Amino acid sequence: MPDIALKLEGIHKSFGGIHALKDVSFELSEGEVHALLGENGAGKSTLIKILTGVHKMDSGIIQVRGKTVTIEDPVDARHKGIGAIYQELSLVDSLTVAENIFLGHEPSTSFFGTVRKKELIRRAAEYLLSFGIKIDPNTLVGDLGLGQKRIVEIIKALSINANILLLDEPTTGMSRAEIDTLFEIMDDLKIKKVNMIYISHHLDEVFRVCDRATVLRDGQNAGTFEIDKVDLKTLVKSMLGRTLKEEFPVREGRSSEETLLGIKEFKTDKMLAPISFSLKKGEILGITGIIGSGKSELALGLFGADRALKGKISIGGREVRLNSPDDAKRHGISFIPEDRKEQGLFLRLNVEHNICVANIDLAIKNGIISSKKKSEIAKETSEKLKVRPLDIKMAVQNLSGGNQQKVVIGKWLCGEPDILILDEPTRGIDIGAKTEIYSLINYLADRGTGILIMSSEFREMSAICDRILVIRKGTIVAELEGKDSSTEQLLTLALGG
Amino acid sequence: MENKVEKNDRSAFVSKFLRLLKGELGLILILAALMVVFSLMSPYFFTSRNLLNITRQVSITLIVAIGMTFVILTGEIDLSVGSSAALVGVATAAVLNATGSIFLGLIAGLILGVGIGFANGALTVYGRVQSFIVTLAMMGIARGAALVWTGGKPISRLPVDFAIMGAGYLGPVPVSTIIAAGVFILAFFVLNRTKHGVYVKSIGANREAARLSAIPVRKYRVLAFVISGLMSALGGILITSKLLSAQPTAAEGLEMNVIAAVILGGASLSGGIGTVLGTLLGAMVIGVIDNGMNLVGVSSFFQQIVKGVIILVAVLAKRSD
Repeated sequence: MPDIALKLEGIHKSFGGIHALKDVSFELSEGEVHALLGENGAGKSTLIKILTGVHKMDSGIIQVRGKTVTIEDPVDARHKGIGAIYQELSLVDSLTVAENIFLGHEPSTSFFGTVRKKELIRRAAEYLLSFGIKIDPNTLVGDLGLGQKRIVEIIKALSINANILLLDEPTTGMSRAEIDTLFEIMDDLKIKKVNMIYISHHLDEVFRVCDRATVLRDGQNAGTFEIDKVDLKTLVKSMLGRTLKEEFPVREGRSSEETLLGIKEFKTDKMLAPISFSLKKGEILGITGIIGSGKSELALGLFGADRALKGKISIGGREVRLNSPDDAKRHGISFIPEDRKEQGLFLRLNVEHNICVANIDLAIKNGIISSKKKSEIAKETSEKLKVRPLDIKMAVQNLSGGNQQKVVIGKWLCGEPDILILDEPTRGIDIGAKTEIYSLINYLADRGTGILIMSSEFREMSAICDRILVIRKGTIVAELEGKDSSTEQLLTLALGG
Repeated sequence: MENKVEKNDRSAFVSKFLRLLKGELGLILILAALMVVFSLMSPYFFTSRNLLNITRQVSITLIVAIGMTFVILTGEIDLSVGSSAALVGVATAAVLNATGSIFLGLIAGLILGVGIGFANGALTVYGRVQSFIVTLAMMGIARGAALVWTGGKPISRLPVDFAIMGAGYLGPVPVSTIIAAGVFILAFFVLNRTKHGVYVKSIGANREAARLSAIPVRKYRVLAFVISGLMSALGGILITSKLLSAQPTAAEGLEMNVIAAVILGGASLSGGIGTVLGTLLGAMVIGVIDNGMNLVGVSSFFQQIVKGVIILVAVLAKRSD
């Protein structure tokens, strides 16, 4: 029986009468990477926030190495050796790597209370070296890529001698190489006796790095599994509480032969190279490639958000100029951007505002907005998309990630677009919500909407697209029928094999 | 049937107003408390004459603050409103004296206000300079222009008819109060019932998301400054009309009272949050403090300290609820 690093027992927590956690137990053995799984809203975040002292539990026991503790606040959590890495980074861009690592707990100060810079850099370099990471501690954090930032964040958490490390979706936005480095570091940490709790929607990652997995469903334990002895299907079933018949719903209709959108030698100031392709009416066309291959730049360009330098765009056979998103909208193009928080949503404003903002004209008569019509549109759209909870006056920031994504889609859905461009539409959302979004894409395509999906999830692309273009360094390098493609093939093409 | 729908919509409008009013409960309580205190301290405070007088005193701050609300909603700031008001006052008086026409004077003043607002907006949006800097510079330029134009001396001997706007009464109600009420209703309508309002709030809440929601962001950002310029012009005209004289040093520090009113009203300096109803109550709180302390006989030096403290307390109280 291995020693227990952390034990949670009978944790209860409710917010305003609604149970977020009900009698939840969790156990982290010494030297273990333990996955915490569940759909959006299953209670993972609440549990993590209790562990890091952000929320206080209503009842239950927390034991660190067999000793019962209470965690007062985040500072207290750190004192007890619990460090956390969140999806949102907490680094200061204008400080150096060394300064960031020791921010708030500078190791050595001089007589006057000033930081001894040399000592700081020496210790930071030591840390970086011990993980074999080649980052100069004098670099400004703002100059680092996302993956490197995440690594600095981990080292920052470790520098306070954390031996329980929480990793919440740590691979978000990271490239494959960066993910590999992260996993190597995690292996290294295991040897150094750091115990980790790993939260991710990517079950393939869980199978790669975790020893055990605890699944939460509706705020309760749904099972703990040894990763060696469990398969994907069982985990998903445990998360959803039902067997997922089809992760990728089958489309019944097919695309027509009529060309809807024609792109010829098109290039914007942000794109790496000119691109040509066409999209048919009712077609689901995928554009795939690794991060940084130029997918998002193409999407933004087609929506008129960047400055076009050359090339022709024609819609329904007529040449058009798209100088702004406003132009694009007038020509029936809608765009669901990659980063829902930064580009898609007005987080502090309510669901109604977020859904109606782009198509407010639908609720306007004689220049005056009808508030009744406005809430009708918002209600109808959120019902169609199954936004939960169904409260159009709720601020979007209080929704879970999957529901936020549905709202971003709803913003354009109510305008019944001819062409819909989606950039990474299923990033960071759970399997249930993903399937709903795939069904919706099918429904729109069947109605004749031309769908253009940019995604770096190859499995998703080969499953849902009629046709796939692979893009590498801004150039289309291959075209495949969706049915004929395999994940491996797409990956190989995208990497340039 | 058609009629019924409209009626429903109108009652929705009223209920929205009431709901918003409920959201401003904290500020209403502060206002009520101040009025009770001043009523106890001075027998002259709670008289219909004085209360109407307060609305007249508040009207100019309120009009300019409504323009400022548009700017702050988009996440910007306009420091030039006081100087613009002074320059517009001077321009209005000069044109009025030169042409003998009140109408031409008014038009000239309003056009100048729009021009200043457009310059502020264009430099901020297209020139990509922070609005704090642009309008700080404009604050100096407009004030300097007013002083140079007049040689530092006021322009007086304006026709008496011109005083109606700023100093006249319609029955017991000051004309400037009626003008301010009109501006308030119009702004409330624009922000709550038109596309413009939806766009302005969106831009302030998340500019990039607004752009990618196909909102012509730059146009509406410039427009916010133009509205602020127009409102300061109206304020400047009312000041000139009230005094029947254009002072190049008029409205000094007006921007601070105006920004204080908007922030007291619950607007966020980072944009996206704020209502004209809040601004109205904020302006009223400041007006009541000024008027009440004068009646009670607090020295004008001491008044500034009290005002500062009350603003801090009010903002903190609002934050905690």
